[in-house]
Amino acid sequence: MVDLQSLRTLWRQATPSLALIAAVILMVTPLRLFQGYVPTPWLPLLIVYLYAVYDTNAIPTVVIFAAGIFQDLLYGAGIGIWATAYLAIQYLVYSQQEYLDGRQPRVVWAAFAVGAMIIAFIIYVLRSFLAVGFQPLGPLLYQLFITIAVYPLVSMLFFWLRARRVMAEDRER
Amino acid sequence: MTNMIELKGTLAPKRKPRKKAVAFFLALSLSMTGLSFYGAQASVFEKARETVLDVMEPVLTLFGAPSRWIGARVGNVQDYFRIYAENKRLREENAELRVWMQDALSLRRQLSYYEVLLETKMPEPATFVDASVIGENNGPYDNALILSAGRRDGVAPGQAVVDDNGLLGHVITSGNSAARVLLLTDYESRVPVFIEDMEVEALLTGKSSGTPILETFEQRPALERIVPGSRIVTSGADGLLPRGLPVGEVARVQGETVFVELYANLRTPDLVRVVEYQFPVVDDSEEISSDEVTASADG
Repeated sequence: MVDLQSLRTLWRQATPSLALIAAVILMVTPLRLFQGYVPTPWLPLLIVYLYAVYDTNAIPTVVIFAAGIFQDLLYGAGIGIWATAYLAIQYLVYSQQEYLDGRQPRVVWAAFAVGAMIIAFIIYVLRSFLAVGFQPLGPLLYQLFITIAVYPLVSMLFFWLRARRVMAEDRER
Repeated sequence: MTNMIELKGTLAPKRKPRKKAVAFFLALSLSMTGLSFYGAQASVFEKARETVLDVMEPVLTLFGAPSRWIGARVGNVQDYFRIYAENKRLREENAELRVWMQDALSLRRQLSYYEVLLETKMPEPATFVDASVIGENNGPYDNALILSAGRRDGVAPGQAVVDDNGLLGHVITSGNSAARVLLLTDYESRVPVFIEDMEVEALLTGKSSGTPILETFEQRPALERIVPGSRIVTSGADGLLPRGLPVGEVARVQGETVFVELYANLRTPDLVRVVEYQFPVVDDSEEISSDEVTASADG
C-alpha cells in the first residue's frame, strides 16, 4: 500500500528540481514572445537564484549541474556553459547569504541584477573562448535585460507557490 | 501570518548551503567546457546530442503545442482585420505570377530542346522532406532550430533547409526522429553563395544578428560593384548545398561590410523543407575510356 503522505512529501521535495527541468525545456520551446522580437528570459537562472536565496538546498547541486548539461546538449553547443552559469549563480548567492538574509524583495532583485550581469559576462567569455573570437554583445545584453525585467513576475509566482506549500504543510501538521 | 511573511519573501533560510559541492560541480563543468573546446564534434558529444534530440522530440512537441495553438489563433485574428488589404495584395501577386508562369513555360520548352540537342546529362532533381519546427535555441548565441524529422525520414547532416521564401540553414545533427539546423544568422554559419548580378562568388557569414554579411574572395573592386538589391543564391561550391537556392539580397553596404537581407523567415519559422540532393558524380572510367579511344584514333 502506497503511503499518500510520503508521496505528497516526495512530490513537494521534487517540485523545485522539476520546475528547473521544465524551465530548461521552455528555453528550447518556440515561445516567440511578441512575434519573436522578445527573447525568452533565462528562466532556469531565475529559478536557481530564487531557490538558492529563499529555500537553500531545495534544488540539489547535482540536479543544477545535470540541468545545465542537459540544456547544453539541447542547444547543441559547447558542453558545460549553462551548467557553469547556473552553478555560478548558486555559488554567488551562497557566498552572499549573510547579506541577502532577510532583505526586502527589492534588494534581492537588485542583487539578482548584479548576479545576472556576472553570469552574462561568464557566458560571453566562455562563448568567445569556444568560438575563438569575440562574440557580439547585443543579443546577450538584450536577453539579460529581459531576464532582469521579468524577475518580479517570476518571484511573485514563486512566493505564491511557496505560500501554498507552507499552508499545506501546516494543515498536515 | 506565515503566509504573509512567505509572500514578502523575508524568511531566513533554514539550512546551511553546501558551498563545497557547488564549487566541485562548478570546476567539473568548467573543465567540460575546456574539453569541448578540443572535441566539440567528438563522437561521444555528438552521440549524446543525437540521443537527447531523439528522447526530447515528443516532449518538445508537447511543450510547444500551447504556444503553436495561441500563435495560430492570434494569426487568424490578425488575418481577419487585414483581409481586404491581403485580398488586394494576393490578386496583384496572382496577376504578376501568371505572367511569370507563361515565361517559365516557354523557357522550360526551350531548355528541354537544348538539352536534347546537346545530349546534356541533367543531375537528379532534389527531393524534399517536410518537417515542423518543434524547438529553437532561445539563447543569445547558437541560432538553431530543432525539426521533427530525422534519419529515418532521410534527413542527414549537411542538407539544406528552406522555407517558402528561401534558405534557412543546414542540418548539423541528425537523430532518428529529430534534427538540428544551424541557421544562416549563427556566428558559426558559413555558406558559399553567388551574387547573380555581378557573377561573383562569396561567403555568407552569420553574425548572431538578423543580417548576415558577405565576405568576397576578391578585394576592394569587387565590393565597390556590389549594389543594394543584388540577388544572392547558393553557389554549391561546398559540395553539400545545391546551386541556385534563393538566399536573400544585398541590403546595404557600409564601408567594407556588405549586409544581406535574408528571404527566409527566421523569426517565426513553422513548417520547413529539408532538401535531399545528390551532387552528380563524374564517372572517371568513362572519361578514361573516351580518352583512350581518342588517343588510339590519333595513332
